[in-house]
Amino acid sequence: MPRRSYIFFGILLVAATGALAKKEPALPAPVKAPKQLALVRVNVTGQSYDYFRPWQKKAPFSKRALGAVLSNGRVLVTADLVANQNYVELERAESGEKTAANVQVIDYEANLALLEPTEKKFLDGITPLEITPDTVVGDRLAAWQLEPTGALLATEGLVTTVQMTQYPIDVGQFLTYRISIPMQYRENSYTVPLVKNNKLAGLLLRYDSRSQLLDAIPAPIITHFLKEAESQKYRGFPSAGFSFFPTRDPELRQFAGETGKAGGVYVNNVEPNTPAMKAGLQVGDIVTAVANHEIDQNGNYVDPLYGKIEFTNLLTAHVYSGDVVPFRIQRNGKPMQLNVTLEHRDAKDYVSPPYNLDQPPRYYVLGGLIFQELSRQYLKEWGPNWQREAPQRLVYFDRFQSELFPDANRRVVILSQVLPANSTIGYDDLAYLTVTKVNGREIKSLADLAEAVKQPVEGFIKIETEEDPKQIELDAAQVAAEAPNLQENYGISFLNRLD
Amino acid sequence: MKRAFIFVWVALLLSATCYAQESTPAPSPIEPQRPPAGARMPNTPAQAVVPVPVPIAPPKPNGPVQKSLVRITNTAAEPDYKAPWNAGGLQRSVGAGFVIDGNRIMTNAHVVSNSRYLTVERDGDPNKYPAKVQFLANDCDLALITVPAPDFFKNMIPLKFGGIPALESTVSAYGYPIGGERMSVTTGIVSRVDFQLYTHSSIDQHLAIQISAQINPGNSGGPVMQDSKVVGVAFQGYSGDVAQGVAYMIPTPVITRFLKDISDAHYDKYPDLGITYAKLQNPAQRKFLGLNDDDRGVLVSTVVAAGPSADILRPGDVLLAVDGHPIASDSNVELEGERAEFQEVVERKFRGDSVKFDIWRDKKPMTVTVKLFTPWPYLILGHSYDVHPRYVLYGGLLFQPLNLDSLETYRPTDLRLRHFFEYFVQEQIYLQHPDVIVLTNILPDPINTYLGPYRGGIVDEVNGKKIHTLDELASAFAEAPEHFVIRMIGDGPPLVLDRAKVEAARERIKARYNVLKEQNLEEQPISKTPQQVSKI
Repeated sequence: MPRRSYIFFGILLVAATGALAKKEPALPAPVKAPKQLALVRVNVTGQSYDYFRPWQKKAPFSKRALGAVLSNGRVLVTADLVANQNYVELERAESGEKTAANVQVIDYEANLALLEPTEKKFLDGITPLEITPDTVVGDRLAAWQLEPTGALLATEGLVTTVQMTQYPIDVGQFLTYRISIPMQYRENSYTVPLVKNNKLAGLLLRYDSRSQLLDAIPAPIITHFLKEAESQKYRGFPSAGFSFFPTRDPELRQFAGETGKAGGVYVNNVEPNTPAMKAGLQVGDIVTAVANHEIDQNGNYVDPLYGKIEFTNLLTAHVYSGDVVPFRIQRNGKPMQLNVTLEHRDAKDYVSPPYNLDQPPRYYVLGGLIFQELSRQYLKEWGPNWQREAPQRLVYFDRFQSELFPDANRRVVILSQVLPANSTIGYDDLAYLTVTKVNGREIKSLADLAEAVKQPVEGFIKIETEEDPKQIELDAAQVAAEAPNLQENYGISFLNRLD
Repeated sequence: MKRAFIFVWVALLLSATCYAQESTPAPSPIEPQRPPAGARMPNTPAQAVVPVPVPIAPPKPNGPVQKSLVRITNTAAEPDYKAPWNAGGLQRSVGAGFVIDGNRIMTNAHVVSNSRYLTVERDGDPNKYPAKVQFLANDCDLALITVPAPDFFKNMIPLKFGGIPALESTVSAYGYPIGGERMSVTTGIVSRVDFQLYTHSSIDQHLAIQISAQINPGNSGGPVMQDSKVVGVAFQGYSGDVAQGVAYMIPTPVITRFLKDISDAHYDKYPDLGITYAKLQNPAQRKFLGLNDDDRGVLVSTVVAAGPSADILRPGDVLLAVDGHPIASDSNVELEGERAEFQEVVERKFRGDSVKFDIWRDKKPMTVTVKLFTPWPYLILGHSYDVHPRYVLYGGLLFQPLNLDSLETYRPTDLRLRHFFEYFVQEQIYLQHPDVIVLTNILPDPINTYLGPYRGGIVDEVNGKKIHTLDELASAFAEAPEHFVIRMIGDGPPLVLDRAKVEAARERIKARYNVLKEQNLEEQPISKTPQQVSKI
């Protein structure tokens, strides 16, 4: 917005002086070197994997978006935009010049990605955007979009709150700006930069057109991402691995032995193999301070910029994997200090991984029975309301995975569906069954299953499931003999994918 | 019309493939009180629906049915699960009934359940006669009532029962649809004979006959007749926007079973084997089990520990024959020339009866006998009637056992609660939690200001002691420790109550919320005639 008014003002002056001198038509003088916006168009075509037909990809999609040009010839976009991409193309707004681009770094959890043009000089002439991390409630930010002509379209909005919210990939919470702004629809409104004083303050995360509220990935998260992206190996945002509960209830405080100051949160659950567990945090502890910031009963600390905000911000935006964060706790009424060495928790470290993008899903087809590993990516195949529409038993497994599968180092193998074939006659209606054993061997991953099916017992493959019918048998020879026909019939390129 | 059928068909397909999803839209019991649902236009006006006249053989007159038919008015009190100490809201409804031998009136259970006051009227008599429920069978939606007035049955003609009417034969339904005061007759044909869900309890499946006669609210409990004999009792149907011309009646095998069950003055309910089984249609599976290639047998998947088959049948057993009737691999048997689900053999039996199975275990034939009863864990999955809801109120916290009625009252979205309900029997959750005790509601008071987040939690322990039943919870609260530390299932923090503070608040909460009684541990029948509802 400020930039636009500046340009406009300049043009007015030129026009006014011209009009005074001679009574000529009041046309603006031609601009010799037009100001180059630090924006490029990003065109993405991609294909998601089809979890219902895991051997194939879905029909291609194409997305048009904007990218913010940063220093060193990098372009910042949301991870949403480039997840499952086949081809990314950058386009100069004014000239329409195009080049291919590579995804340099991507963080699905923070929803950020860096692109670099294959043609190094492509971004020449553009002054990169600087980043301003100091946005606070009450600031006005401009959302930058492009008109079809390549001209800037700026809309101004007010930052109404700064808080911790869930990002699209639901692993913990991240800092978010919420902005009240009447966005206009443009062809490429996918990754929209939010700008303050010509500096990048955030990127569009989601927008609700009814309430006209926009959530933005804030500059502190972007800065964290960029800093980490410079390191050799991108590790992602750290997590501590525990959940907590407010201590407003005086009875609960007393029970936990907390009689002193009125702050702290109750530790509900400490997940195995996480930094919190390694540091010795226990269920029932009261965490009173993190990184020397006092925590109140609701779990908020006083941030110098934002005021009260949830302390999980101290464990994401401000710290990196490997950092040691001091925790002050009360255990049975006694104060203690723990040093928690933060780590990033990879999607593969979950029993039911929260996301799986840019990677083909694993599967195993056996005579028409399709086996897959339970993941939230699979459940999300049921659409935006997957939590209600996906098979409830599987949603329950995903939701309570750390409670139901304390042995974290495993997967849940499901018989997801059955393709009717000669060897699966009578099994056609089976679906969403959890596999416990195959040929007597315990199954904790698809690799286990692939191994176990190689050892038929007296010519039969016996599959045991937790749910009814509890047991399914196949004739190993028949399965092998029928495989080519099955592949042909259902268009299955490969009968399994284990990596 | 066509669309409605397709809709039902799609729904069926979904229920078959989606695990633990909502089941198919069940036909609703014919609610007598509701006004007619207006003449609704079908959703697909694209093609004009031309009614095709169905050739129906003209019904033969069934005699003076009005001499047997009665109009029943029931004032019922539905239990209030949100404030279980209250008597519940009153509702008045009208249904039909008919006189049978022994000065008894047969009707549907849903016409007379939860009754507080019952009257019957008969044709050509201005009086309303107070009536009494004699027997109530909620699992098959049948009831017997009687009128104490000495002369009531004097000029009434008891009706006789017939058999299963033939497909396509014409039947007539009698009743008081839409609450009218004069008898109404409608005619249709027998469309289908099959197992159906009985929606009054909503868990029981029995034989039911689908007829094309128009049946509407107020027909409930009325006789469906052919050749001057009762061939069924009208009881449920689909509302017009799901399917039209689809109504159901309870056929005579179910009726005679009910009459036989109560011949000892006590209704025992349907027994159940307490097993789940799978069809055995896969050749490789049959070979693996060492079965002959003769299309016989079903595979036992789960044996309910609280059921009659526990320790007799095992998962992996193959049921080859029931009482000498060979079981086909699609789980059907042949009974009197008709194919029916093999469960039908068990359906016709009573508590204490035996069923003999020829089974195949470890590739050897065996014979076992199961002595039947009703496995109790199934009961929480269905609706209950004529009971006082059980609850414990302590410190403004309302604890109630999970059952279909409380679930439908609170409609929780909580995954864990729904899982406990869905898998209560199949995963044998009842062994650990005979009562799944839920903190369903909180009556706000200063002592429970911060306890909102615990709502919907399932009680696991109190002061370190596992809580299995509501009675155990009540006795735990009757003790006098300084604090009650209540652990819920799952991660959450314990719920801590200061006993002294709760004791001080007790009278205050009772007075503020008009709580008459702080707990009810017995689901005893409301009515004074104790034999009408049996409890297991």
